[in-house]
Parts: sequence; C-alpha cells; structure tokens
Amino acid sequence: MGSLLRLSIYLKRYAWSFWLAVAGMLISRIFEGFIPLFVKNGIDNIAAGQTALTSGSIDYQSALNTLAAPAISIVICVLIQMGTTIAYRIAMRRIGVIASYDLRNRLYQHLQLQGPIFFSRHSIGDLMARAINDINLCREILAGAIRMTLILAMTALVGLTFMFTLSVNLTLAILLPMPLIGAVAWYFSKKIYAASYLVQEGFSTLSTFVQENLNGIRTVQSMAQEEREIERFDQVNQEFADRNLDLFNMTSFLSAIMPILAASGTLIIIGYGSVLLERGEITVGTFAAFFSYLALVLWPVREAGSLVTQWQRGASGTARLFEILDYEPEIQDQPSLDFPEPSGRIQVQNLTYRYEDKEKYALEDVSFEVSPGETIALLGRVGSGKSTLLRLFVRLLEPTSGQIYLDGHPINGFPLARLRERVCMVLQDPFLFADSLSDNIAYDDPNRDHQEILEIAHAAALEETIEGFPEGLNTVLGERGVTLSGGQKQRAALARGLIRRSPILILDDCFSAVDTETEEKILSGLKKVRSQATTLLVSHRVSTARHADRIIVLEEGRIIEMGSHTDLLAAGGFYANLEASQRNRLDLVSRLDEAAS
Amino acid sequence: MAVVRKLDHSIFDAHIEGQAMNVEYLKRIFAWVAPHKAIASLSIGLVLVASTLAILLPVVITRVVIDGVILNQPDALLPDFGTNELTAWIAGVTGWSALVSACVIYAVFTLFCHIFYHAHRVTFARTVLCALRDMRHDLFAHMEHRPASFYDRVAVGRVMTRITNDVQAMFELLMGMGMLIGEFVPFFLGLAIMLAIDVELTLYLMIAIPVFGLITYFFRQATRRVYRLIRNTVSRLNQNLQENLAGMQVVQLSNREKRNLQTYREINSDNLKHEQQAIALESSYGAFMDNMVNVALAVIIWIGGGSALQAEISLGSVILFSQFVDMFIRPIRVLGQQYNILFRAMASAERIFQALDWHEQIKDPEHPIRLPARLKGAIEFRHLTFGYDPGEPVLHDVSFTINPGENLAVVGPTGSGKSTLIRLLGRFYNFDDGTIFLDGVDINQLTAADVRSRIGVVMQDFHIFSGTILDNISLGNPAISREQAIEAAKSVNADSFIEGLPQGYNTVLVERGQNLSQGQRQLLAFARVLAADPEILILDEATASIDTETEQVIQQALKTLLKDRTSILIAHRLQTIQEADRILVLKHGQVKELGSHDQLMALRGIYYTLNQLQFQEVSLKEDIT
Repeated sequence: MGSLLRLSIYLKRYAWSFWLAVAGMLISRIFEGFIPLFVKNGIDNIAAGQTALTSGSIDYQSALNTLAAPAISIVICVLIQMGTTIAYRIAMRRIGVIASYDLRNRLYQHLQLQGPIFFSRHSIGDLMARAINDINLCREILAGAIRMTLILAMTALVGLTFMFTLSVNLTLAILLPMPLIGAVAWYFSKKIYAASYLVQEGFSTLSTFVQENLNGIRTVQSMAQEEREIERFDQVNQEFADRNLDLFNMTSFLSAIMPILAASGTLIIIGYGSVLLERGEITVGTFAAFFSYLALVLWPVREAGSLVTQWQRGASGTARLFEILDYEPEIQDQPSLDFPEPSGRIQVQNLTYRYEDKEKYALEDVSFEVSPGETIALLGRVGSGKSTLLRLFVRLLEPTSGQIYLDGHPINGFPLARLRERVCMVLQDPFLFADSLSDNIAYDDPNRDHQEILEIAHAAALEETIEGFPEGLNTVLGERGVTLSGGQKQRAALARGLIRRSPILILDDCFSAVDTETEEKILSGLKKVRSQATTLLVSHRVSTARHADRIIVLEEGRIIEMGSHTDLLAAGGFYANLEASQRNRLDLVSRLDEAAS
Repeated sequence: MAVVRKLDHSIFDAHIEGQAMNVEYLKRIFAWVAPHKAIASLSIGLVLVASTLAILLPVVITRVVIDGVILNQPDALLPDFGTNELTAWIAGVTGWSALVSACVIYAVFTLFCHIFYHAHRVTFARTVLCALRDMRHDLFAHMEHRPASFYDRVAVGRVMTRITNDVQAMFELLMGMGMLIGEFVPFFLGLAIMLAIDVELTLYLMIAIPVFGLITYFFRQATRRVYRLIRNTVSRLNQNLQENLAGMQVVQLSNREKRNLQTYREINSDNLKHEQQAIALESSYGAFMDNMVNVALAVIIWIGGGSALQAEISLGSVILFSQFVDMFIRPIRVLGQQYNILFRAMASAERIFQALDWHEQIKDPEHPIRLPARLKGAIEFRHLTFGYDPGEPVLHDVSFTINPGENLAVVGPTGSGKSTLIRLLGRFYNFDDGTIFLDGVDINQLTAADVRSRIGVVMQDFHIFSGTILDNISLGNPAISREQAIEAAKSVNADSFIEGLPQGYNTVLVERGQNLSQGQRQLLAFARVLAADPEILILDEATASIDTETEQVIQQALKTLLKDRTSILIAHRLQTIQEADRILVLKHGQVKELGSHDQLMALRGIYYTLNQLQFQEVSLKEDIT
C-alpha cells in the first residue's frame, strides 16, 4: 500500500484542482440530499392541500401554489448538483490523465537509461505490460478510486445526516441490516475479483494456444494432427466458457442477493414507518423520502467491497511501476570536465568482467594497446568473452575491475553521448526499425543528406539491394514494408555505423550472414574510407582476420594469442589450427552454386 | 501447370472501421445462437416475469401501503393490478393486519423478482457463451484447415486476433442485447402503468425521452471520433515503445535517446489532448444524464400534485410516479452504450466472416481412393511443372521415380526448388492431376490427410508445442503409447539426453524451446517421426551448426530412421549424400543429374565438379565453436 503514496505527488502538484474537486463533491452530495427533502415537502403539501380542500378552507389555486416552492427548489438543486458534478469529475479525471501522461514520459526516459543487465531481467512483454496496464491502474486510482471513495463517504454522511434530521428512530432501524449487506457485498466482490482473474487467465491461455498452434501449423498439417488440435482447442475453449459462466453466475447472484437484502430496509420503512406515521412522529412525505434516502445510503455499502479491490489492484500496479522507475541505471553518466578528442589510441588495462549471476569470469585480466589506425581482429569460441569485451568499449557494460583508456583518459570520464559518438559499435544482431532504409542508415541524425547516405550504402555493398527496391532508399522496411534477408540486414546495420565516421569502429561479428566475397569487398572498401580510423572486429573467418594488423585470440576470458597473421601461424597455436582446418573447407551450398554456374 | 488463383491476402491486414448495422452479419451471428433457441426463449420468458414483478413492487408500496393502509383512501378507479385485493385476501386468510400482509407481499415479490432475474441472466449468459464457444470452434477449425499457401502470406497474429479478440467483441454485443431486453421490458410495463394512472403527467414526462435520446446520440457521435483518436494515439505509443525497447542498444549506441523521447512525448501529448476532450464530453454527458432526470420530480410535484389536489389521482400515485423516474432514462443510456459496442462488434464480425469465408484450400477428391494398410513406398514424379504464382514456375517438367525402400538425396543450390519438391509431396499446395504418384496412385486422388499420414516430414525447424517431451513425440496421438514413444526416442539416441533432464520424459517444454539445443531438437524431430512410423520419409537436413559429437549421434539416428523406408533427403552434409542410394541434382527447377555416386562421378557433370572441390560439410563457424 505504501507505493500508493508515491502517487500523492500528483495530488500535490494539482492541489488546487484536487481540493476544488473535493469541495465540488461535497456540494453536489449535499444538494443531492436536499432533493428527497423537497419531494417530501411537495408530498406533504399535497396531502395538506387535499385535506384543506376537502374541508373547504382553501381554494385550488392557493393549494397548488404551495407546490411551487418545492418544485422550483428541486430544479435549482438539480442544476447546482449537475454543475458541480461536471466540474469535479473533469478535475479528478484530468489529474488522472495528466499523471498517466507524465508517468509514461518518465518511464520511457528511464528505460532509455538502462543497460543490458536490466533488459535481460525484464522482457519486452513485461515492460510493455507495465507501461500499459500498470500506468492505467495508477490512472484509475487517481481518477477513479480516490473520487469514488470520497463520494461514497460523503454520500453516506449526507444521507445519514438528512435521515437523522427527519427521524432518528426510523434511521436507526434502517441501519440495522446494513452491516450484513456490507459484509455480503465485501465477500462477493472478493470472489468476483478472483473469478474475473481466472477469466483473464483463461483468455490468455486461449490466445497462447491459438498462437502456438498457428505458428506450428505446418507441423500440425504435415503430421495430419488438425483434428486432434481442434479437440485440444475445444478443451481450452470450453474451459474459457466455463470460467466466464462461473464469473457470470457469481456477479448475477450478487446482483440478486443485494436487492433482496436491501428489501429488508424497505420492509423496515413500510412496517416501522407506518407505525411511526400512525403515531404522528413522521409525515407521509417523510415516509416517501426515506425510500430515496435508503437508496442513497445503500449505494456506498454495496460498493465498498469492489472499491477495496480496486485500491488493492491499484496498489500492486503502482508498486510494479515504481519498481522499474526506482531501478538505478547500471551505467551512470558522470563525465569529468576535461577529456580529449579521441585519436583512436586505446589502452586496455587489467580488464575483468563477471556477470552477476555467473560464477565464472567472462573476462579476466585482459590488457592490450591499440594504436590509431590499427585494425584488430578478435577470435575465439562462443562464450570466450569477445562480445563482452566489445560492449565494455561503448559502456553498455561497466567493468568489474580494470579500465579502458582513450588517449590516456578513462572512458567513463567522457560524456556517454560523446563516447558513443566517437566509438561506434555495430551489433551482432542487425536490428532495423520499421522506417525507410535511409532513415535506418541515418539513424543517428535524420538530417543527413541523401548523397552521403547513398555513398555509405555503397560502401556497405547495398547498392544492388537499393536498386532492387520499389522506392530505393525510401523503401519502408519491416512487417508492413519489404523484408530484408539476413545479409542485407547486416549490411544495413553496418551502413548505420559507418555513416558516423567515428575514429574508432567496433564490428561485432556483423558479417556472419554475408558471403565471403561480399565481406572481403566491404572490408577492402572500408580500408579506403577509414584509413586513419581504428577498427576492432570479431569474426569467425580466418579469411577475414588475416587482413587485420593484429589478431587477438580469446579463450575463457583471457588472451591466449596475439600477433599478426604470419606471427600466429608461425606460433602454431589455436589460430594456426583454425587456419589449417578452414583452408580447404568451403560451404557446400556456395560451392554448389559455383559448380552449377 | 496448376491453376493457381491469385488471391488477395492483404484484406487480412486491412483496417476495418465498420458500419453501425449490418443485418446480414447479425443474421449470421444468430445462426450460432439458434441451436440454443429453447434456453434463450426461456431466458426471455424469465425476464418478462421478473420485470413484471419489479414493476409491481412500487405499486405495492404506493397503492396498497400509502393509499390503502396509511391514508385509507384506496381509489378503486386507479389501477393497482389486483395488489389491494391480494392484500385483502391474505389478511382474510391469515388474520394478519393489512400492513403486515402488504409487507409479506412485498417481501415475496422481491424474492421472486430477483430469483427470476438471476435465472434470466444465468440462462442468457449460458446461451451466449455456448454460441460463442461454437463460433470460436468453427473459426478455429476453419483456420486449422487453411493450406500452407495461406499461411505463407498472412501473419499468424492477424488470424489469432480473429479467433480471440474479435469473438470477444461478439460476446459484448450479445450480452448487450440481453441487457437491452432487461431494460426495455420494465420500461414499457412502467409506461403502461403510468399511462393508466395519469395520461397527462405521463405525456409531460415523455418529453424527456426525445431530449435525452438526442443528447445521447450527439454525445456518441462526438465521442466516437475522439475515442478513435485516443485508440490511434495509444497504439502509436505502444508501437513506439515496443520498437524502442526491441532496438534499445541501437538507440543508445546511436545517441538517439533525446530524439526518440521527443517523438514519444509528441504522441503522448496528442493522446493527452484527446483524452482531455473525452473527459470533458464524458463528464458533462454523465452528469447530465445522472442528474437532469431529477427535474422530472419537480414536474411530478407540480403537475401530478395538481391532479392529486383535484382528486384525479391519489397521493400514492404521485409517489409511484416519483419511483418510476429513474427507469425512464435507463434504456436510453444503455442504448447509448450499446451504440459504441455495436460499431466495434460489426467491425469484428466483418473480420470473423472474412476469415470464415476464406475458402482457399487444398483440393480433396470427391471420391478419394483409399490406400492399402501398408504401402510399398514407390514414388513417381511425372512431368511436374509448378509455381506458387501463376506464370512463375519453380519446377519445370520434373520426372523421376523412387523405388520402394530407396534413399534419394537431393542436392542443388539455394532456390533450385528442393523445398518445393517436398512440399508438393506432402500435398501442401495444389498442383496438376497426374503428376505425382504414390505406389502408382495419383496423389490428387487421395485425401491430404491420408497422404500426410503415410509421408513423414522432418523439417529444418522442429516446432515445439508447449507440453511434455512425451507429448511432443506422440503429438497426443492415442495410437502411440508411452512405451512406443520412448522406444522411438531410444532408437534415435534421444533417450540419453531426455533421461538427463530433471523430469525425464515428463519435462515440460515451452514453445520456442530455449531449453533444448539444436542437436537435441533434431533428435526429438527424428523421434517424433519415427513414432508416427510413416512408410515414406522426407527430411530437410538441418544446416545449423551442431557440434561434432552430436553430429555423430544424429548421423547414427538417421540410419535407423532410413532403414527399410523410402526416403527423400534434402542433404547438406557430405556423409548423408554419400550414404544415399541415388543422388538427384536439381538446378533452376530442373532435374540435371540422377544416379548413384559412381554413375554421377562418371558423368563428369555438376556432381563431379562438386566432389572435385573436396568440399566438406562442416561449416566454418563450427570449427571454433
């Protein structure tokens, strides 16, 4: 429940609106309470008028005139109540939507600061659910639950006040069954909440089943399993229908039992009220008014239960949301005041990294230096620490110990944005946005000119791809546009990195889906475009690595070999073995293509 | 060349706004309700009884208690629907006072009224839920039988939402209709009573109906637009966030945080603007409908009071009118709510029927030939030409035969038509009659299900269904016992890794199957097909990297699988090719070479060149992984 207090900042920020809304609620409730009172006056006046007319002490017109005051008063009450209701509803709902607007922005901004560790803990689905459902719950608390709670309390208070003024005895009598009604409503609203949760769960089971089945439709059909799958679907489908029916039975039962219990109040008014009426303690108008007041008091009693669940849901939603908002980003941007323009000189000193949930070190005591303009190739088995090392250069990860220096300055002294601008990394997974190809290439700065983008696309061997597209560079990619092959994606992602012309370029195995020939073409082109720049690249191919000035081989987080292609061949270690085994091994498919042509 | 109609699958992506009413759709929807007609009629009967009782409750209070008992001036001319007589009768029989009798009547009426209402709601919900369960079943079954050519072009998500969300919209529609019945019946009964008591007063009150009706209409018109804008901005917000999360590293490495936040903020502000418009509209309308109705009380006091003073109606009648006030505008409110639901439901209905009317399918013969219990396993391709799109053939005049028990390896470059060949054999696409034969029978003369139960296909990607390992091997086929499934797993050497899992064969797998390695998935795929024991096996050998040790296990398993079985292998590994009986070289959809290893080597053609290149199957990446 404590998390709910976090939302109070929005009430404080909009304190004026909030307190005016509270005042509006109170006014509207009071005038609502007056209406039955004026109806009572009207009825009493009719009764008195009838008696007076029978006895002939008054004429029809004067008797009718006594009804004018109550009738007009009712209209005035209605107008005031309506005006204040509009005002307070708008005020409270506005606070709700503004808060959700603000929370969305906060969440978005906060998520952008998070690193890979955070995202490995929270899936996209999880984060989306928080952004959609939990922010909605927060909004419901501010715009709904708070308002309802206040209104219900005020309604009960105002209703009781008016009732006690009219007849203390009758009011006390009516209050007798209230605790029972409240308890029943409470009990059922809990059960209904649980049942509706089951329905939601059933719906997601149903969705998952259908999705999974359709994803595997080819397997289902090739194994002739359609009928069986339909049978299995029927079970899930039936279960969903059953759960829905359970929920309906319960809500319907509650809607039946409530008025039956409430009828006890009505019976008390009829029975005990008639007695009081006979004794002359109350008038016919009071008698009628109590039916209206009974409805007024019953409402909060009935709603209390579901309101409590709304608060509870809101509290857990708020807690989930703030769990994310309170998460301290792994990477802190605290630049020192003085930092040089990186020339491309890198020193890696005793770099060590261990993932939180692992015992083994991903990198252990790695040190090496790179001079400006040098090209370094990193090789090693899967899990040897290549990607971890590269990520440390752009501060997607923070080293456990050790440091990386650019021109003698530790990289965490550079402003993060500046660092990532000067050290450009192309990731292994070529993620492209559902935008045009040119927007994807010029992702860092949409204002780049067409010629520049075209040039870079050329360097990344994309010219044929572009020519094949209906709208060239402006062709939209993704689900609603054209789909690229794995190799095309990698080259587009490469272009996105190249266009930044950074002094240091890092390529994390981004040629895996590009054929050897194209890869070599790109790499030799790169040399021309980036003659002065430092390049670090991960590859699995000796044919790629051999072009590097130096090759570093990693094994279990440590450097086991380092040197030029010829040095390492002469050394006869891991690299030499790899070279020997790859020399004559060629991919069957590409050889077939060759043989066939 | 098979006749392939060019179908426009893009309608599955189309955005449907929908019209308010489409009688044709409603009729079709009711077709699912029709089988539950009896219970639906009962439900409507129940609501009639319940509503009648509900209307009589205020009559008991006003005409019996107030007029009769308290004021002691029962007006015989005013209708009381026999409630006074009933009270008198009960008082006479039991000897209770009139007041007590009235209380008893009130209590009993209340009780029965709500029991009937409850019964009505429950029966109605049951009708609707059963109807929609059946609709969902029909829809799912229909989609389950759409062919591969359909799923090649339509995203799974688009089909899924039709089965889930769109059917759910029907639920809202039908339940809403039930609610309307529940509101309108008491409305008309109440109206009848009021007219019977005081025509003039009733007519005055009825002015409210067109006024509130018009206001509701305009409100719904106005909010429809705003709600649509809200939905659009919300989905744009979600898309933006989702994409941003998926590409977060690229965003961060490209320093795009500020710019992206700016874009997001702009959409968010747009959303806020429309939300506020909606709030202003909703709050005004809601408050108006909630409160304005009480003006009727003033009218009742003034006009009804006037009539009462002239002794045209009783005081109880005035109070009775005041009790009916609320009932007067409820149907209008509910109608207004249903208006929006109707729009959404009609759009959903259109999507549902679009899917149900999509008749693309694999042609099944009218009088299929039944195959014998066990096939010999001879396959023949006779002048087969096929293309997915008309005029763009992928296979040209392909002819060859495979003898029973023979293993044929198919090799060829990417795009040569290898995959198409096996897809056709599994009858996943329509092709010309008389082009593919199974034991001499044209497979177009067989049902697709029959063909597929004889031909086991192992695809590159093994699809895992959520469930245990055992379920994934037997696919729930009752003909495959637990022992048989385990036996199959043992035969393909999958047993050892399965036993190593925490729950063995009962280990639950999830769809994407992250908990299994590539090699393990391959072995499971083998076990699955072996358990099904088809006469013919088709295998698209995985190209993905597998470590050498597993590789050996897989090759071993493959041998078991191929033993005494006609098979076609799309081979990527040298060992597989060399162990095949014959080799078929496919290029540009044409058969270039066919024969044993020795024959093809002697031919000195493509296969020979291939071999000369000393290729090896191991891809580069595996050497260091």
